[in-house]
Amino acid sequence: MKRHSPTRRLTLITMLLAMSILMHMIEPSLPIPIPGVKLGLANILGLITMFLFGIKSMILLNLMRVIIASLLRGIIFGTGFWLSMGGVILSTFITIILYKKSKLSPVGLSVASSAFHGLGQILVLMFINDTVMMIYWLPLLWFSSVPTGMVTGTLSAQVLKRLKV
Amino acid sequence: MTFNMNKQDKILVITILIASLLLYGTMEWFVRSTTSDQTVAVVSYKDKEILRIDMKIDDTYIVQGTLGEVFIEVENGRVRVEKETSPYHLCSIQGWVQYANVPIVCLPNHIVVMIQNSAEDPNGEDSVIQ
Repeated sequence: MKRHSPTRRLTLITMLLAMSILMHMIEPSLPIPIPGVKLGLANILGLITMFLFGIKSMILLNLMRVIIASLLRGIIFGTGFWLSMGGVILSTFITIILYKKSKLSPVGLSVASSAFHGLGQILVLMFINDTVMMIYWLPLLWFSSVPTGMVTGTLSAQVLKRLKV
Repeated sequence: MTFNMNKQDKILVITILIASLLLYGTMEWFVRSTTSDQTVAVVSYKDKEILRIDMKIDDTYIVQGTLGEVFIEVENGRVRVEKETSPYHLCSIQGWVQYANVPIVCLPNHIVVMIQNSAEDPNGEDSVIQ
């Protein structure tokens, strides 16, 4: 983490936020054959922000991303919003803990983040639909979190390697 | 693209894969072993039961979801959402379900279809209590 002037820092984080909102918005239109599974492209920006600007900035970026993207889509406080929120809160939480306590690379952090994003969504679904059996979908989400997390984690690592801010 | 993973990353990935397979096995075993011969498909809209379908009769049912009509088809003891109005059609992509307790979720329509054993009639317990 480098020291930046507050204005430079604010500008950079805002640009990262804009990109993560964009990723969040375009992601559902990507054709992925398995229902409920997505790449988690927005998490690339979350990880980059964490490595460049620290934990607080990532929390802010992830929460703002979900809120602003839902506002733009007009689904704020709807089911989809709570699903994203549940996923993002749990995945951000686990990413921070593992970042502090383990030696995981961006790839591992991304896989863990992806797995816990799925868990968060399942928990919200359990609550909304009032049935524990939503856990039936958890194995699928966990299994797919490995390839998707590896792709987004590698992308973050590659960007971090090349990005000079 | 290279996946530069250290030892901890590999442990994590393997743990998640094993956990998902174990959980999958457990869930499959659970839904198979709890499915009886007498099943009904329960359709709920926003948590309230709106339709109870006998799984022995092949037919198509139409319920009203948030975004429009949801077509539910029963055939050979299996149930699926045939078509529905939603952005990504996830619940009709899911296809056929034949075991109890596997939820078919149409989130945008707030419709959940789940097979239940007809022995699990919520009113059935009353006679025992009295």
